[in-house]
Order: sequence, then C-alpha cells, then structure tokens
Amino acid sequence: MPVEVIVKTLFILIVVIGALAPVMTWTERKQSAVMQDRIGANRADLGGITVLGLLHPLADVVKLLTKEDVVPLGANRIMHLLAPLIAAVPAVIAYGVIPFAGVYTFGQDTISMVVSNADWGLLYIFAIGSIATYGTVMAGWSSNSNWSLLGAMRASAQMISYEVTMGLSVVGIFMVFGTLQLQTMAIEQDATFRILGFLEYLIPGLQLPAFLSAFPFVLPKWGIFLQPLGFLMFLATIMAENKRPPFDVPEGESEIIAGYFTEYSGMRFGLFFMAEFIEVVVIAGLVTTLFLGGWTIPWVSTADFIGVVTPALGEGVATGLCVIVHFLMFMTKVVVMIWLQMSLRWGLPRFRYDHVMDLCWKGILPLSIANIFVTGALLLLLGDAS
Amino acid sequence: MFHAIVRVVPGSVIKVRREEKLGFLERLYVPAIAKGLRVTSRHFFRNLRGFVTGKRRTDFVVQYPEERVDYADAFRGMPVLVALESGEPRCVACGLCEFACPTDCITIVPGETETARIERHPEVFDIDMSRCMFCGLCEEACPEEAIVMSREVEIAAYRRDDMYFRKQDLLVPEALLKRRLDFLRGEYRRASEPAEAGE
Repeated sequence: MPVEVIVKTLFILIVVIGALAPVMTWTERKQSAVMQDRIGANRADLGGITVLGLLHPLADVVKLLTKEDVVPLGANRIMHLLAPLIAAVPAVIAYGVIPFAGVYTFGQDTISMVVSNADWGLLYIFAIGSIATYGTVMAGWSSNSNWSLLGAMRASAQMISYEVTMGLSVVGIFMVFGTLQLQTMAIEQDATFRILGFLEYLIPGLQLPAFLSAFPFVLPKWGIFLQPLGFLMFLATIMAENKRPPFDVPEGESEIIAGYFTEYSGMRFGLFFMAEFIEVVVIAGLVTTLFLGGWTIPWVSTADFIGVVTPALGEGVATGLCVIVHFLMFMTKVVVMIWLQMSLRWGLPRFRYDHVMDLCWKGILPLSIANIFVTGALLLLLGDAS
Repeated sequence: MFHAIVRVVPGSVIKVRREEKLGFLERLYVPAIAKGLRVTSRHFFRNLRGFVTGKRRTDFVVQYPEERVDYADAFRGMPVLVALESGEPRCVACGLCEFACPTDCITIVPGETETARIERHPEVFDIDMSRCMFCGLCEEACPEEAIVMSREVEIAAYRRDDMYFRKQDLLVPEALLKRRLDFLRGEYRRASEPAEAGE
C-alpha cells in the first residue's frame, strides 16, 4: 500500500503538476500574446534552439536563483523566510485528494487512482486553502513595509471572505452527489441523465418516449449541468482565492507595488509566483473533478468502455487502456480549465477593492445560499432522481 | 458593434453620455464575460491556427533587432554633426548650441582655420550622450545646419565613458542626413511664411 501511494504521489508531482506548473509561465505569456495578436516570448535560446519560447521558464529560474535574496532591514527574519514556503506548499499538497483516473480492478487488486481516498476530501482542500492565507499574511506582516502590510490586509480580507462563499457555493454539489469524497463524486458523474427525465417524477404515470433517452436528449451527469449556478460561483470564488487578476487586489500593482510580496526577491519571490501557478493547475483539477466529470468520458461509462474493448484485447489490456484514456480525458479537461482561467485573467479588467467585497458578500453569498435551498427543494421534490 | 464614427462639424456640440445605465444582462456580469471571451477566443484560435498553418494570422509584431520600422523624418534621435565632403564638420564653433543646451552636454573648443573659406572650426566638439535628452534645441539654435538630430537611438553602452561622443564619432556625411535636412528646411520655410502656413 505505501508503495502504491508513493508511486501515485510521484506520478502527480511529475506528470500533473511537474508538467503543467513550470510551463504555466510560458502558457501565460504565450496565450496572452496569441489572443492579443502578438507573438510572445520566443527569444530564450540554448545554442540557437528556441522551441517556441519554451526555454523561458528555464531562463526565469536561472535568473531568480542567481539573484540576491534580500531580507529587508527590520523584517522578522524567520517569518520572512518561512512565508513563501507556507504559501507554496499547500498548493502542491492539495492535489493529494484529486483523482486523476477512476477505480480499476486488476485481477484481485482494486486500485483507485487518487493519492488519498479520504472521506473528507473536499474539506481537506478547503482546510489546505486556508493555510495558504497564512503564508500571504505572514509575508506581508513580516516584511516591515507599508505596501506589504496593506497587501496582506487586503489579502486576508479577500481570501477569508471568499473562503466562506467558496464553501457555500459547492454545498449544492455535496447535496447532489451525497459525498465529500472526490473519487466517489467522479464515479457518480460517470453516468448520464435525461434532460427531461424530471417530468416523469413531477407528473405521475407519465412515461417519456424512448427517443428522449437517446443521444441528444441525454447529458453526462456532470456537476456543471446539475449545478450551473454553483459552477459559476465556485469558479469565481476560487479564482478570487488564488489572488490573480481580475481579483488581484492583494497584489494591486497599480496601487501598492506588488502587495504582500513587495519585499521579496530572487527565488522567494519566484515561490509566490510558483504557488499561484500551481494553484491554477489545482483549481483546474478541482473544478474538473467537481463540475466537469473528472476523468470520465462524456456519454461513455467505464463499464461500457471496458465491455466494448475487452472482447478485442482481453480484460487486462482493456482496463489498462481505460486508465490511459481516462487520464488523458482528465488532462484535457484540466488544460481546458487552465485555458479558461488564463483567458479570464487576460480578458477582464481588475476589480476595485470594494467591488471585490461587494461581489462576495452582496452577490455570491446570497446567491449561494439561495442555491442551497433551491437544490434542497428540488432534491426533496424529485427524490433520488436528480 | 462599433458606433458610426461621429463626424465633427465645426460649431456642433457633441454630447457625451457619461453615466451609461447598464442593462440587466450587463449587470449580471456573466453574459458580458462570455461576450468578451468570445472576442478574445476568436483572436486566440485564429492566431493559433495561423501559427500552425502559417496563414491568416493577425499579429502585427515587428521582430525588432532583425526587422525595423522606418522612423518619421520628424523623429529626434541622437544629435550628430553634418560632415562636408572633405570630412570636416560644417560647424563654425559659434557656441550657440552649447548655449541652448538645457543639460550642458555639449563641449566646444573653437579653433582658427587658415586656409578654408570658413575661418573657424571646432577643435573639440563633444556631446555627453548620457546627459543629452534628445530635445533638439541645439538643432534649432544652429545657424549653419551643422548639428541635426539623426535617427540613431541605439547608443546604450556598458560604461559611462562609452557614452561620451567625440567629434570624430559624431560626424555623419551630409548625404546620409538629407531626409532630416530637407524636413528641417521645410519646417523653417513654413515658420517663416506664417500667412501661408496658418491654414
């Protein structure tokens, strides 16, 4: 068992986060460039090889590592040095409960493709997310700088407010799937539902015609279709939690230099950035799992897939193939979500500070509470149909 | 999406609506975001396809060190001295530019010329480019069209001393500065005929 956990952890660190997070600086530059009719970073070269500018992350790291690491005069040295770690580590370990493929049976062994199949999966992510706030606040508080302190104050206000709404906006999903375990949630979404199926429950004795159970009238049972409002609210709140534009008031480049990490230099500054980029990947994974069906293939359930492929290749190979397809499916959805986040980051003007708070307390919070009640009422009305 | 371009008629008053009321859909925010995403994604995917297939890309980037755009004639780069065909500066070391310079970056030491038609020439004519701000007042002050602003701006150096330009570094043949000189003559002509230049 421990071996299995270590292998899965390494797999996530190397393939999921390792492949996506460092490239994120490149993605951000390149995507913004392409959507703004520019070309983007393409100059870093190693012996004449530029590979579409993919060497820029490498150049960044070399630059950041060779820069002087300044601790400002009057700063609390220990806190100052510790803060970037506290900001960056939660981002990485949050991935531990996000499933990157389903549950498979190989002979006698059942393997669930998630590092920790804990019952409290989603709560763990919220808890870990709150720890990241400490990193931010510590960084600002210990820097002995007014800009940092202002940034930290804003960050703490914004992140704590949005944590509340983030929690409330996914309660609908808990209710629909009846679980906090992300793997179970993904398995629940490995199915389809009839768009008009609820009519059968509302009108007793009504039998829907058979064509309504066929392809165009059937949707994958994904969170986004069951909780569209929840999806929008969750995406907004979790993006605000990540402090990237358009919710970048804690950094507020135009107002308070760089906010809570004004006084950081070298790789410690880089760590804050890495934390943000890893969080982008984590958010993409989390939203994928909660709302986009995780690793599931739309309209094709795991049993169907293995059932179809087994006669041709045998069960072992079919399961193996299924793992690969599911993983690729998961990565595709993650990449789409990353693309969406980047597009929003580059497409939207930033919020003013009071607008951020208004959106949270006056907009999303009442809506999310309403969403909980409406979801509850519908669940009561429709029974187990959902 | 764009409104018709308002043709400005002299004397007409254009009312600008300062506080535009947002519609319900706009206040919902999400449809507005979707609208914006549509625009940016359209550019994104068109350019992405362009990068792969090589056609219909809409970027307009000039790959700077390899490609350049031509600066306008009115562009003020670093000041240079006009060199006559003999290689000597046209400058007569009158010192007006030195006097006009707001940053005191010009140093002139005049000398006497025995043979030539012009009796004075600069022994030393130095410009400290690390102080020069490309304002062009020297050019305006010069009665001889001897110092003009070139289109050269890439004068960055690693050491301060390298930013100190001597007479020999500043001399540029007149033929190369023809566009700037023609532009200047046009400007001076326009300034001297105000009645015509006004309209």
